Formats: sequence, structure tokens, C-alpha cells
Amino acid sequence: MTPEPQSIRPPAEARYASELATLAAADRFPKPAGWRLSPRAVRTFLLGDPRQGIARKFYGDDPLVDRAIVSLMSQQGLMLVGEPGTAKSLLSELLAAAICGTSALVVQGSAGTTEDHIRYGWNYALLLSEGPSERALVPSPVLNAMRSGRIVRFEEVTRCPPEVQDALISILSEKALALPELGADAMASATPGFNVIATANLRDRGVHEMSSALKRRFNFETVHPIADPEFERELVLKQLAERLGPAGVTIKGEREVADVLVRTFQDLRTGRTAEGVSLNRPDAVMSTAEAVNVLHAAALEAVYLDNGTLSGAHIARQIQGVVLKDSPDDGKRLRAYVDHVVKERAGRSGAWKEFYQAARALRLG
Amino acid sequence: MQSPPLHDPVRDLWVVPIRHHSPACAAQLERLIAAVNPAAIVVEGPCDFDPLIPLLCDPRTRAPVAVVALREAARDGATRRVASYFPFCAHSPELIALQAAASRGIPARFIDLPATARAMVDEDDAAQGRSLLGDERPFDVGDYVTALARELGCRDGNEVWDQVFETRLTDADWRGFFADVGQYCACIRAATDVVRIARDGTLVRETQMRALVAEVRAQVAGPIIVVVGGFHATALLAQGSGSAVKPEDTAGRCYLIRYGMRQLDAMAGYGAGLPMPGFYDRLWHARDSGGRALAVEIVTGFARHLRQSGGDAPSFPVVTGAIEQAERLAALRGRPFPARDDILDAIRSTFIKEEVVGDDAPLLVALRTWLTGAAIGEVPPGSGAPPLVDAVRARARALGFTVADGERRNRTLDIYRKDRHRAASRFCHAMVLIGADFAQRTAGPDFRNDAMLDRLFEIWDVCWSPLVEARLIELSEAADTLDEALAFALAHKLAALEAQGKGRSALAAIDLFAAACRAGLGKGGEAILQLVEAHVVEDPELHSVVSALADLVQVWRGRDILGITDTTVLDSLMATAWRRILVLLPELADCATEQVRAGLTALADLRGVIALARSCAAPLDLALFDEALARLAAADLDPLLAGGVLAFALIDGQGSPQALQGRLRGELASGHVDPAERLALLGGVIAVARELLWSLPEIIATLNDVIAGADEAQFVDLLPHLRLALMPLDPREVDRLGEDVAAMIGARPDHVSMLIAIPQAEMMANLALDRELAAVLDRDGVA
Repeated sequence: MTPEPQSIRPPAEARYASELATLAAADRFPKPAGWRLSPRAVRTFLLGDPRQGIARKFYGDDPLVDRAIVSLMSQQGLMLVGEPGTAKSLLSELLAAAICGTSALVVQGSAGTTEDHIRYGWNYALLLSEGPSERALVPSPVLNAMRSGRIVRFEEVTRCPPEVQDALISILSEKALALPELGADAMASATPGFNVIATANLRDRGVHEMSSALKRRFNFETVHPIADPEFERELVLKQLAERLGPAGVTIKGEREVADVLVRTFQDLRTGRTAEGVSLNRPDAVMSTAEAVNVLHAAALEAVYLDNGTLSGAHIARQIQGVVLKDSPDDGKRLRAYVDHVVKERAGRSGAWKEFYQAARALRLG
Repeated sequence: MQSPPLHDPVRDLWVVPIRHHSPACAAQLERLIAAVNPAAIVVEGPCDFDPLIPLLCDPRTRAPVAVVALREAARDGATRRVASYFPFCAHSPELIALQAAASRGIPARFIDLPATARAMVDEDDAAQGRSLLGDERPFDVGDYVTALARELGCRDGNEVWDQVFETRLTDADWRGFFADVGQYCACIRAATDVVRIARDGTLVRETQMRALVAEVRAQVAGPIIVVVGGFHATALLAQGSGSAVKPEDTAGRCYLIRYGMRQLDAMAGYGAGLPMPGFYDRLWHARDSGGRALAVEIVTGFARHLRQSGGDAPSFPVVTGAIEQAERLAALRGRPFPARDDILDAIRSTFIKEEVVGDDAPLLVALRTWLTGAAIGEVPPGSGAPPLVDAVRARARALGFTVADGERRNRTLDIYRKDRHRAASRFCHAMVLIGADFAQRTAGPDFRNDAMLDRLFEIWDVCWSPLVEARLIELSEAADTLDEALAFALAHKLAALEAQGKGRSALAAIDLFAAACRAGLGKGGEAILQLVEAHVVEDPELHSVVSALADLVQVWRGRDILGITDTTVLDSLMATAWRRILVLLPELADCATEQVRAGLTALADLRGVIALARSCAAPLDLALFDEALARLAAADLDPLLAGGVLAFALIDGQGSPQALQGRLRGELASGHVDPAERLALLGGVIAVARELLWSLPEIIATLNDVIAGADEAQFVDLLPHLRLALMPLDPREVDRLGEDVAAMIGARPDHVSMLIAIPQAEMMANLALDRELAAVLDRDGVA
């Protein structure tokens, strides 16, 4: 699949096409049936290998990647759970791209998802003119993946109503889907290489329970937020560079500011500062992805509306957009954090001081 | 970095680098010994352990066992006994080496410094339970291991070790294996801080080891195998010089004791050995099957364990899925069979069907506990365990406690009806008191605090861990029986009270005595009587002595259940405490203002103790009390205290109601500026004997007169202090007081509490306000 030139975000297989080609060319390990790459090459694709020029794409939990790859070789599906913004979808996209060459077979779960999105629908014009036929059948991404032996991704499974989720149960256990409209014996059987990667949020608002029967057909992996502040800072900076790079924008002072940002996020996420002070955790999700968004927006403000040097004040102004989402109390929690923790740190460095002064001026309720 | 040569052909010396408790090192060492056919084997370990080698190699010895070494450590000017441990498990290369030497009939020796040597145990770190195995932290942290872990895609040093070495358990190439271990350890050493190596005793120990190797070389012809931690291998290849340090006879003692998997794992925290020894034990036993059966055994074994312990047992497909997952993870990570982390990862992937919140899921905790294991080793009978250990073990067995493993169990004791259970209860109390961590009481009647007396059973949480025996070994220097140990521990604790700033506290001393009574302190009681009495007669605080006497009377009351047949010691102590109270009571007159409250509390408590002593006919000479009280009453007292004393005298039949009334009227109407002082006397009366409010109508009448005579401003001044004085009353008593006063002033009692009609709208508004207030309090976290 060739991405449109103006695509904002090409799929992983397009973004990393050359890396995938390098890996495929050098791959000497055995491949499971239906896989484009061997499990080791998939691992290398995700975790990187400077010698082969492969960049690391998933950070923080290498054993999790091993377990995920191995789960996809088994009869079980792979269920990635965890807080929002912990790169679950990225992980599923990368795995699908590396294993079957496409990450485009996706069911994007929502309250409006129906069984047709999981099984198949019809082209009604053809259905009316020809009756039920293979030509009139519109396969779902799941059916497509089964027939072609590829990975289908099911995003946000728990946002679908439970009865729709349960359509997956028999597909995962039988590895086949009956097509009764096409004849009594008509059946689509999964070819080797087929599997499902689902992502789910078990704790967010507006999600449904998952049935035990469905849970049994998946191996669960919890993706945790990155715990090491140094590491998270590097990651945030790297992603900032990736976002600013194409626009040809350069920025100054981002390292110190990223440090302030990541520490603030880690403190608020865990409800405890590095110094051991306990805090009220905001309900809002303080993920690494949100930190990148804040830093990106702050950098754009610094470049286009200011003198091009990122300061603590820029992120203070952006951070309220992240925190003031879910609960009106979150503003008060951030205010308390600023008044007690940030104030202490304001004496230590310029970035913290700018952050403090700007945050004091915010209307946080 | 070059690996150190395994063989020194000049001296025919095989220096074998190992890691403690590594099954792969043990298996390869077996191969090496078979191939080399040595004339002697020497092992890294304190040389004063040599006499224990025959016991270690006894066929009846079953690992895990440990040598515990006792030594005196000086700290803050005092010496105390410190125990350190040198553990062996079934797959310890050291134990394999010693056993091989025994079966071949060749000499075997330990070559390290004696366990008492300063370099063996860091004096700064004189913590209990230290390991003598040496520091293995470099295997887990350090730049070299971290870099290697990153390169190999491993999460930590332990996984690196497993991947590189434990997977070669069945590899026939022992030369290659030890060359790699040697190189690995040499690299770790090269990356270790030189200053640290100089400071932590490593160099001194190596000098000793070289000297002893030279000594053995001079005595024996033929190949010698030297089994040492890989960290020291290179250093040992150097020529030895100088003479070895000989163990001193008086410096310390060492014993072979049974040890447990759980303690082995805990030792891993000190950086010695591999964590989760239960796993490595299984690996060791699976060595003949090439390790391939390991995943099956562990996954099915854990599933069985979950089923048996009543947890959610995994279904058959989950179990097979886990085994398959483990095999595939091993293949992905390039290992010949699933290593520890592969199996842990596989179980994590397949058994858990939900989000893992925080760092750990309960199932993973259960898995780690299960893989740690609870097995306890066995040492041959009469293996030099001190008499105290044998005596206590025999007593525990006779009382129905399991001492064969380190499993935690619950034991319910029917202490009122069964003599044996009573004895078991006393045994548990005794073990608590001597500091052997054997039993913890989770429920039962509390005779001392007069609480939960309706409970018929005591429930104890008991666990015969090896640390229990270790503590007994420490005590064995001073005692041969549990009673002696108890008396010793008690005397020690009494002496220690001084250091804790409780040198003259009757309460603290009697507290210990009461605990000893619960522990069935028989004849030993006489030995400590004087020590306890010394604390009592010197205690300057009345309330402390009163509380101590209350404790003693409680013990007296429960003497049948506690099995105290001879009450001589108890009687004597009660008499001493009572005499001390009579001495201290008149001294209350001189107490400082800030101690008046405490004095009043002591008076109130004393009243309770006397009532209790009367009710259970405790042998106290109560007649002496009147005299002491009269002496106190005659003194010029603080009004608060005076109120208490007057009330006490009155209920004791000494004072007259008129005297109390007159004094009360005088105080209430007095010219004290501070209304608090005017009400102090009333407060004292109520604190000691509030029933006087009902039995002496004069008190209320006086109070009423004073209040009736006060104008508005005076009343408002008086009100808060009046409330404070009447605070000890419960709501029913407050109602009764209200009714009495109403009757006295001719009001109708039912008018005292009246219903005030509130319009509905006002009530709704009030409710809304109330909710708002609750919300505000809740928000601010003060609800």
C-alpha cells in the first residue's frame, strides 16, 4: 500500500519500509507459517539494533515485547491493556506491520461498532441484483485477515457493547467464520498467520466489561507508563524532534524544559514526588503521549509567537489543557501541586521558576 | 579480557571459578572432579568450619543447611553476640565439592579467614543474619553486567547469568564452561571499584586463601582442586606466601543448623546467591532431563499448587498454553530450554486475564513465593547442636508443633479446657519473650488489660524457621533449658530498661514480669524477683507504680489459667508495689502544678486497683491505705487534687459529706479570678468518684446555689469550665443530672428537654446548608 504523499501520519509499514526490507533481507531465522519476518527480526524491529540501522521504537519494557511476539505465535490472541497513552496502539501497529506487512486491518471499536464490523456486511446494490454472493459480500477487516493469514488489530475493544465483542469468541476459538448466506457449508477458514491484537482500557470511563469467555481467548499484557524520568525525557525529546523536523522548525532550551515537564507528569501520574511528598492525583491521564503533545504545542508557541526559546512558562500555559479535561477538581489539584511542590523547586533552576510564575497566573479554579 | 587459566600445571592446581548456589556450576564441577581425579579439594569458606566438614558430608544431612558462626561484636562500647550464616543448598558447588572429597576419601578443607576475622564481617554492618558468602552484588549491578544485559536483551544480571551459564547445565564441555565463568567474573572484577576491593577485605581474604592453598600443596601430592567464587579466581593463581591466620579457640563458635529456602532467598537480598532458590533446586533436579522437562514441571506444579491452596486454578488449555509460551520465549531468546524468566514470563502472559495494576499482581507474588520454596534441611542427630536447641525442639514436638518445615501455620489453643493447650500457649509466650521468632499471637483473651476475656481460644501464627534455631543457638551460651533461657532473656531485658531510659519504671519491669508469667516462668521467677523489685522501689512516679500494681493484680486474678501454683513471688511483688504506693501517695502533696492531672489520674486508677484487689481477695494490706490518705488529705493541696482526695476519703469512709460540701461551696463562690480554679475542686471529685453526684445531693445543691447566684456575665464565664468538669459524665448521667436539677428548682423534668418546632422550609434550608458544609469538608479532606 502506497501512502498518499500528503498523509499526516503514514502507517508503520510505510514509515519504516526500508528497515523492514533490511530485516527481511538479513533474516535467517525460521519464520512461523504466514509470517513475513522471523520472531527475532520482529523483536529487533521493535527494540532496535544500531548495527543493522534499526531504530528502537518501543521503550521501557523489553520482556513485554518478547511475550507479545510469542503470544501471537500461539492459538491465543494478544490483549494489550493499560492506561491511555502508554503506546498500546503503537505497539499493536508495529507488531502487525512487522509480522504481516500491514497494520491497516483495523477494527476501531466504539459504542457504535456492530457485528458487521467484525464479521461481514453486504454491498446492498449487488445483494439486491445478484442475491447473496461472494461478490456482494463486504468482508470485515477480521474476515480479510483470516483469509489472507494476517494480523487484525482491534482497537478499544472495551468500548464496543459486550454482545459485539463476543462475536470474536468463536472466531478466535474455531479460527473459522460461517457464511450461511453463501450456502449451508460456506465457511471462511483462517489461514496460517492470522491472529488478533486487541487493545483495551479497563479503567477508563465509558468502557464495558469483557466476558470471561472472551478473556480466556487472549493472553493479557499490561503496558505500564515509563517509570524512569531520564528515559521518559529522552523519549519525549526524540518525539518532539520527529514532529518538528518535517516542518523545519528548530528550537532552543528544550532539554531543561522537557525535564521540568517529565518530572511534573511523573509526579502527578504517580501521586508522589521524587522527594516523597504525596499529592492528589488528577483524574486526567498524564501519559507520555500527552507530555509530547504539551511539549510540541509549547515549542510551536515559542517558535511562532515568541522568540524561539522554549521556557517553563510555555509548558505551564499548555499543561492546563491536558489537566483540565476530566474533572473540575483537577485544576485545584494542579494548583496545589504548583503552590507546594513547584514553588519549592522554583529556587533551583530557571525553568522551574518560569514554570512557577506562569502557572501561578493560570486560572485553575 | 582474558579468562584466567583453569589449570596451573606447575603446581598442578585447578582453580575453579564458581558462583554460589549455581546448579550449572555444581553440575560442571561434578564433571571436572570426575575428569581431574584430585588428591585434595579446598573450598572458599571460613577455615574454622573445618571440624564441621564430616557433618556436612554425613549422608543424613539434607540441604538446605547452614553453618552459623557466633562472635562477639563491640558496638557503642557494649559487646553483643552476632550470628552470621554460611548457607549450603543441594546445588551449592561448595557442598558438591566437599561431598565428592568425602566419597573419594581425599582431604577437604576450607581456606578462607576464620568467621570471626574482622575482614569477614564488616564491623559497620554488624547486622544480625549476615551472610558469610561474600558480596555478590557485582553480579546484579555494575556497569559491565548492565552493558552485557543490554547487549543480550536481558532485563538484569540474573537473566544474563541464566542465559549464559545456567542453560549449560548439561553441556559436556566443562573446560569451556569454567573458562567462560572465569572470564565473566574477571570482567566484573575489572569493572569493580579498586578502592572498594581494598576496603571490603577481599585482598586480605585472598592472601589467606593463597597461604592455605600453599599449605595444602606442601602436604599433598597430586592434583588439587580449589573451588572459589569466580571473583577471586585470578588472585588465587598467584603464588601464596606468608603464613595463614589460624582460628582462635575463644573467638567464637560455629554450628551446623537446618536452614530454609525462604532464608536462602532472603540472603539474596544481601547479595549472596541466586534469588528464588526453589526454582534452582528444580533446575538441579531436572539436570538429567537436560532442563527440558523444567517448564512442564513448574507450570503444572504451580497450577496444582493454586488448585490446592483454593485459588483460581487455571484450566488445562491455559496450562498447555503456558508451557508452549515458555518454550517459544526460550527459542526467541536463543536458549536451549526455558530459563527462569521465560517461565515467569509465560505464566504471566497466560495465567493473568486482567490488567496488572501497580508493580505486581497477586498471582505473581504467589508464584515467586512458591518458587522460593518452604523446604527446610536436616542435620544428623547429635550434630553438635547445643542442648538448648534439642530441648526446645523436643518440647515443641511434644506440644504438637511441627518443626520439620518452615511453613507458616495457625494453631488454635483451647486454653481454658485443655492442659496441653495451656502448656503450648505458655511455650509460645516463652518463645516470644526470648526473641525466637517462632510464634505470634493473633487473637485471644488479654488478662493483663482485662480485654476480650470472653474469648475461649488463643490463636497463634507459628513457623519453625531456621532463624528460630539460630536464636536458640545464640542463647545456648547462657542456657540449657527454655526456663533458663527465659530467665536469662528476662534479666537481659530488665538490664536493658536502663539503657532505654526506663531504669526506674515499675510499669516497664512489671510488664516484663507479667509477660514472663504468661510464659510459665516457674522457678526462674525467684531469680529475677530482686531485679524487678529494684525497679519498683525506685520508681518515683505514682501512676507508674499504680499501673504496675494493676498488672500484678490482673496476673493474680488469672493465676489459675496462667498455671501459677506457687504465688510467693507474685505476693512479694504485690506487697512491694503496694508499699511503694503508700510511700508515694502522701508525696502527691508536693507535686508540681503540671503533674497534678497525672496525680489525679493515678488516684482514680488506684481506686480501681483497690476495688479489683478486694473483689479477687488479693493479699494487700488495705488498712495501711487509710493512714496514707489521711496524711495526704491533711496537706495543703491543689484544689483539683484536693477534690480527688476528699472524694476518695469520703467513699473510703473517712471524710464527712458536710466537709466536702463546705469546701465545695467555698471554692465555687471563692474570689478566684480564673473561673477554672473555682471549678477545679468539683472536677477532682468527679474524676475520682462521680457517683457522689447522686449519693450526695448536697453537691448538686451547692452547685445550683452558686449558679443561681451568678449574674449573666459570671455565668457565661463559668459555663465552659463547668462543662469541662462534668465531661466525664456519659449522656445518661447528663440526663439524670438535668432531671435532678429540674426537680430541685421546681421545674417539670419533662420540660428540661423540649421539642422545638421548626417550619418545614427552614428545615429544608438547614438541610441544604448541612449538605453544602459536608461537601466543603469533604472537598478539603477534613470530613
